[in-house]
Amino acid sequence: MHDARARRMARRKVGRATAAELVSYANKEPSAFASMLGGLIEANVKAGEGKRDDFDHLVARVGIWVTDIDEGVTLDFKGGTLVVHNGLRPTRTITIRTDAETVMNLSNLKIGPLGLPVYYNEVGRGVAMKLLRGKLKIDGLLPNILTLNAVTRIFSVAG
Amino acid sequence: MAVKAFSNEWASAFKDEVNKSSTYKTAAKGWKWTVGLVVEAEPDKHFPESRGVVMDLFDGEARDIKVGPAADAQKCDFVITAPYTRWKEVATKQLDATKGMLQGKLKLKGDLPTIVRYTKASQEMTECTTRVPVEWPDEK
Repeated sequence: MHDARARRMARRKVGRATAAELVSYANKEPSAFASMLGGLIEANVKAGEGKRDDFDHLVARVGIWVTDIDEGVTLDFKGGTLVVHNGLRPTRTITIRTDAETVMNLSNLKIGPLGLPVYYNEVGRGVAMKLLRGKLKIDGLLPNILTLNAVTRIFSVAG
Repeated sequence: MAVKAFSNEWASAFKDEVNKSSTYKTAAKGWKWTVGLVVEAEPDKHFPESRGVVMDLFDGEARDIKVGPAADAQKCDFVITAPYTRWKEVATKQLDATKGMLQGKLKLKGDLPTIVRYTKASQEMTECTTRVPVEWPDEK
């Protein structure tokens, strides 16, 4: 289920959180996938000022469903903090559905000079082909493309 | 000829496979951290004591791979821990290592952005384990 109004808030600026409270988990026992994504985002944001800026401005609920392990998470970006939920929660801005390998490849997308993901190198072409072949589905993509780009930048370990 | 699972002979054969792989050599360019695999004991599978595989990997080359106590592997920069049966599933292609980590079947300790950056190298390393003929203690 997607919230069509979500894009209006996508770059709302909220006060900067301290490093200790950047990422929290909604579930008492976060799944391995939730811990991994939360840990990855936290490490990325702490390491790069550019990513921190994106993180501080991003207000969106992003669902990720890994089709070949039947597991998912919802990343609730709240403008400077992130709450990671096990499974898909309602009113998501965008939802990415793909296999485990592509989830890892999304994190390896290089970010180009304009802050846009690079789709012309080997990893980028692989991701683009999965999108064209329907093996990577992004619900809510068209009205939220800026949100997707910001999420990709925060995710990326390659740029 | 098959070698005993997680023995020194296995470590040597595994190292040879890694160093034969041009895919690994390219994908692991720039890697400079040690990796420890902890294979947890499963006495009912005839694997009575936990073992550690310590891998000294540098810039696309396996400089050394040895088997010893689990505690040695736990000191590495990156540590992946799983019971014997899970590792057997990985080595026999019944479990994809990436999926295993996302599902928590293989527990990873270490800097996540670094390991994600080298996903292709770790996938190829897993492929290398599948090329080593192994004598599994629970199949005797």
